[in-house]
Amino acid sequence: MLRFILHRLAILIPTFFGITLAAFTFIHLIPGDPIEVMAGERGVSPEKYAELMHAFGLDQPLWKQYLDYVWQLLHGDLGVSFVTKQPVLDEFFKLFPATVELSLIALIFAIVIGIPAGIIAAVKRGSIFDHSLMTLSLTGFSMPLFWWALLLIVTFSGTLGWTPVSGRISALYYFDNVTGFLLIDSWLSGQPGAFKSAVSHLILPTIALGTIPLATFARQTRSAMLETLNEDFIKTARAKGLSPVRVTVVHAFRNALIPIITVIGLSVGVLLGGAILTETIFSWPGIGKWMVDSIFRRDYAVVQGGLILIATMVIIVNLTVDVLYGLIDPRIRRKGH
Amino acid sequence: MSEQTSNSQTDKIQSALRAVLSSFWFEFKQNRGAVYGLVFISILAFVAIFADLVAPYSPIEQYRDFLKLPPIWSEGGNWSFIFGTDALGRDQLSRIIHGARYSFYIGFIVIFFCLTIGIFLGLVSAFNKGFVDTFIMRGMDIILAFPSLLMALALVAILGPSLENAMIAIAVVYIPHFVRLTRAQALSELGKDYVSSSKTMGASSMRLMFVNVLPNCMPPLIVQATMSFSSAILDAAALGFLGMGAQPPTPEWGTMLADSRSYIVSDPWLMGIPGLFILLTVLSINLIGDGLRDGLDPKMKSSK
Repeated sequence: MLRFILHRLAILIPTFFGITLAAFTFIHLIPGDPIEVMAGERGVSPEKYAELMHAFGLDQPLWKQYLDYVWQLLHGDLGVSFVTKQPVLDEFFKLFPATVELSLIALIFAIVIGIPAGIIAAVKRGSIFDHSLMTLSLTGFSMPLFWWALLLIVTFSGTLGWTPVSGRISALYYFDNVTGFLLIDSWLSGQPGAFKSAVSHLILPTIALGTIPLATFARQTRSAMLETLNEDFIKTARAKGLSPVRVTVVHAFRNALIPIITVIGLSVGVLLGGAILTETIFSWPGIGKWMVDSIFRRDYAVVQGGLILIATMVIIVNLTVDVLYGLIDPRIRRKGH
Repeated sequence: MSEQTSNSQTDKIQSALRAVLSSFWFEFKQNRGAVYGLVFISILAFVAIFADLVAPYSPIEQYRDFLKLPPIWSEGGNWSFIFGTDALGRDQLSRIIHGARYSFYIGFIVIFFCLTIGIFLGLVSAFNKGFVDTFIMRGMDIILAFPSLLMALALVAILGPSLENAMIAIAVVYIPHFVRLTRAQALSELGKDYVSSSKTMGASSMRLMFVNVLPNCMPPLIVQATMSFSSAILDAAALGFLGMGAQPPTPEWGTMLADSRSYIVSDPWLMGIPGLFILLTVLSINLIGDGLRDGLDPKMKSSK
């Protein structure tokens, strides 16, 4: 098992350097001089310009700039935001919990509804429940996320007035930042109404972000279950007189897990992509909105650093999924060598 | 004599082709959703092609006397503007009709790039084990590590916001899926007898790649292309919505949605109608994709 993990890790190293090279190249392909972008309308004197070029290392040859960048990167230095002058890594970690909180809750929402629905649809194949679930899930899968989010806002915040329109919590509450997760922090603060406010701010973004993964999980669970339900060992289990619930959940579902874990793993990229739209629409102060704002503000240090951090996160999740495969199915572990 | 043989051969090929097509159609039409999807897309394609004739008005003409007119089914609607007008007094129906053109345009261009580049890289990768293969596949891994919308946004930021650049960015983001799929299909075909016998007969590697192996890789690629067609429409609309895709006054559906954002509470139909058309179009194409899967590869049949 350890060899399997080490082998996977070894493949990641060139990918990681590829990611840094891609992000670095991106930023240097952008037309326009970063110093002029920073200076904005006011412009800078030639002396100041040369000084800034030197300060940011922009007067060095490109390959040296890249090597310096990677060297700093390996020491945890992702540069400084052009706009806020804060270190990129600090900004990232300040906003990261908001994205993790939203994505995790959306993922849980999608798993808790999607997987049982898929199992029921497979067991009751051909029933009205099955047909309506498949139609609904294909609709969810085809939903333009930004439109869906706006519809939710119009209906639940606008017309019905049940939920707040944007943000993470009402401005009335202030408490210490313990974990960065507002659900936990507001609970710990013990202020009346704080936790409720955090929850009510989470509802719509969760539904918006979770819908597409939910639809994917339901479809994937159903088709994986249909496949295993046809296997001989299921007939054996039934013939042994095991209860239908036990056959479905213990025997069939466990063997359908591999494709289901695959889609859950793949959905992390989908969630991060979806977070860009969801966070922008709901003014959720996470890394998705941060990236969009930085792209619009031409804050290239943040875009470059953010791209690398997000891509690194995605490859780490993919590695985890690979390792999970190995844990569930020893055949994959052996083939991996 | 030889003419006769070749004639009977073409006949044989034709009848074989007909048999394949009719069995495909038989499987396809079993899937009722796929047929509905095909009907909707056909109507939309017709309307898009003849947009200049079908649309009652120009999509950019502003009727200043009729600002934000509601559609006919709500109070205050007017038969001369069936879907109402937007904040600048432009006819929504005409904008939707012309917008359909952009959706097809986006889908086809993206798929064209994905198929040509994806198939080429995938086949090259499958036929050149070793350095070339590793290099291409690691490159694809790198692209796949970035969430697609984020990567597309960053690319558009570099290239400058426009519909064409949005399409290039989306194509770049989708190509890795095509490369992986082609490579996997080609590798599974390479071990088969017909390939080795063709090789023994002295077929060049070009012939092996494109004449022998590629046709047998096509079914899953066609399904993937259909699904990517719909995702391309969604992503282009998302980029348009963020202001990084088609620029106003282009009647692209995502851009129309972005324009209507300030009126979502006062005049919800302004964002309702373009969004609904995006949803219906994407849903129809995905339904067709399901039907194609059933028809092209009955083993993969998912919905039965």
